Amino acid sequence: MNLAPIDWIIIVVYLVGCMSAGIYMRRYIRGVDDFAVAGRTMDLNLGIASLAATELGLVTVMYTAQLGYTNGFAGATMGVLMATAMYFVGRTGFVIGPLRRAGVMTIPELFEKRFGVKVRWLAGLFIVMGGVLNMGIFLRLGGEFLVVATGMPVQRLEWVMTALLGMILLYTVLGGMLSVLVTDYIQFIVKGAGIVVTSILVISSLGWSNLVHGLWQCWEGTGGGAGQTLTAHPFNPLHSSNFGWMYILWQLVFQIAVVTTWQTQISRVLSSKDEATAKRMYRRTAFYFVGRFALPGLWGAAAMVYFSQHGGLPAALQGLTANEASLRATPAFLGLLLPTGFIGLLLAAALAAEMSTDSGYLLTWATVMYNDLISPCVKKPLSPAARLFITRALVLAIGLFLLFYGLWYELPGNAFDYLAVTGNIYLASVCTLLVAGLYWRRATSQGAYAALLLGAVGPITFLVVNLLIMKAKRMGAHLPVPPSLMQEWLLNFNQRFPNAQPIHPELAGALSFVLAFLGMLVGSLLSRSPEKRNIPATEVPA
Amino acid sequence: MNDLFLLFWSVMIFASIAWYGFLLFYVGIKGGREIIVMIKTFDERNAQEKKPEPK
Repeated sequence: MNLAPIDWIIIVVYLVGCMSAGIYMRRYIRGVDDFAVAGRTMDLNLGIASLAATELGLVTVMYTAQLGYTNGFAGATMGVLMATAMYFVGRTGFVIGPLRRAGVMTIPELFEKRFGVKVRWLAGLFIVMGGVLNMGIFLRLGGEFLVVATGMPVQRLEWVMTALLGMILLYTVLGGMLSVLVTDYIQFIVKGAGIVVTSILVISSLGWSNLVHGLWQCWEGTGGGAGQTLTAHPFNPLHSSNFGWMYILWQLVFQIAVVTTWQTQISRVLSSKDEATAKRMYRRTAFYFVGRFALPGLWGAAAMVYFSQHGGLPAALQGLTANEASLRATPAFLGLLLPTGFIGLLLAAALAAEMSTDSGYLLTWATVMYNDLISPCVKKPLSPAARLFITRALVLAIGLFLLFYGLWYELPGNAFDYLAVTGNIYLASVCTLLVAGLYWRRATSQGAYAALLLGAVGPITFLVVNLLIMKAKRMGAHLPVPPSLMQEWLLNFNQRFPNAQPIHPELAGALSFVLAFLGMLVGSLLSRSPEKRNIPATEVPA
Repeated sequence: MNDLFLLFWSVMIFASIAWYGFLLFYVGIKGGREIIVMIKTFDERNAQEKKPEPK
C-alpha cells in the first residue's frame, strides 16, 4: 500500500464531509418531486457542478485514460465532439427547451402526451435496460482503479466495490436528488482539484516535450526501453490507424443524442428552475467535456510513454490481456508517480468521481423505473409515502444488481465502446422519438413503436454476438470435462464459424440510428395521421 | 509529427487545465451560495408546513 497518514487524513475528511452533507439533506424530502428533481429549485452554478460531477465518474476516467493510452491525444476527440454538441444544444435549446417547458419528470412522461401511455411504458423499459446495463461496469471499473492505484491485492476488489456501493446507497436512498446535488457540489470541488493537480504533476514530471516526442516514438516504433507501442496515430484522429471518418461521424450523431436524450443529463435540465437556466448550464458546461476526455487521456498517454521509457509494464500488469492492461496502466502509473499527500488527493478525487456518478445514475434509473414502468400500471394512486418508499427500494435494488453484474460481466472490448453501445440501446430510438415528437407533426405512435424496437436491434446484437465470439475463441477447439451445455454450444459455434469476427461498434451504433429513423419515418407514414392530443402548443411545439 | 493536430491538442489540454482551475473557484463560490439559498427555501417550506392550519 502506497498511502501515508496524510493521504488517509485527506480521504477520511472527504468521506466524512460528503456523507454527512448527503445524509443531512434527507430532512427536506417530502415526496417524489423532492426526491427525483429536487423540487425543481436548482440554480445555474449548482447545475453546472452537478452536471459536471455526474458525467465525470471514475469509470469516465478509466475509459478516457484507456483511450489516451491506446490512441494518444487523439483519444480526446469524443470530448471535442461532445462539447460542440452541448454548446449547440445550449445555444439553440434544441430538444431541452421544449422538454423543460413541458414540466415532466422523465423523458418517457413526455411521450405519453405525444404518443400514448404504451409508448411511454415501452420507452421507459428501453431507457432502464440501456441505462442499467450501461452502468453495470461502473462499480467494477471504479473498484479496479482504486485497487490498482493503492497497490492493494486484486482479491480485495469485491470488498472495495461493496464498500463503495454501501456509502453511495446510504445517502442516495435517504436524500435522493437533494443529497445528490449537495454531494455533487463537494465532489465537483474535490474532483476538480484532484484533476488539475494530477495533470500538472504528470506534465511536470515527464516534461511536455518528452511526452510529445515519447508518444511519437511509441507510434513510430523508434522508442528505447521496453518499446511500448502505439498502434494508433497519437495526434490525428482521422488517420486510418486511429478512429477514422466513419467512427467520428457516428460519434458526432451519438454525442448529439447523448446531450439531448441521456436521462442523467436531462434530469439536470428537468431539475433546473427554468428553461433559460438549463440552456445556460449547457453552454457553460460544454468546454468541461473537452477536459473530461483530454485530461485523463493525457494521463493515459503519459502512462504509455513512462512505461515505454522505464522497462515496460509493471509485473502486476504483465500476463493480462491487452485490453485489461490498457485499462489498468494509468492507475498503476499514477500510483508510482504521485508523491505522498497527492495520492490522497487523487484517491479522494477518485472516490468523489465514483460516488457522484453512481449516485446520480442510481437515482435517475430508479426514477424512470417508478415513474414510467410502475406508475402507469397502478390504477389507484399511491400515497406520497408509498411512492417514495418504492423509489428508494428501486435505488437499492439497482445498486445490488450493479454489484453482481460488475463481478460477473467481462468486457468484450474497450470500456468506451461498451458504454457507447449499451447507451445506444435506447439513445438512438429515444432520440428519434424525442426529435420527431417535438418537431414533426406527422409522427405517430406506430412510428414510435417501430423506432424503439429497430433502434435496439444493433446494440443488442453487438453485445450478444461479440460476447459469444470472445468466449468461443477463448475456449478454442477443446471441450473441458465435463462440458456444460453452453460450452458444447460454443464449440459447435466455433466449428461452424471458424472465421467469425466481432462486430465493429461504429457499425452497430450507426445502424441503430439509421434503423430507428427509418422505423419512425415508415411507421408514421404508413399509419393514420395522429389525432390532436391534449397538449398545449406552447408547451411542445410539434 | 503532425504539427497542426499537435498544436490543437496542446491548446485543448492546457485550456482544459485552466478552465477546470477557474471553475473550481467560480462554481465553488457561487454554487455554495446557491446551496444556502436552496436550503433556506426548504427550511421556510418546512416551517410553513409545521404551522397549525387556521380553524
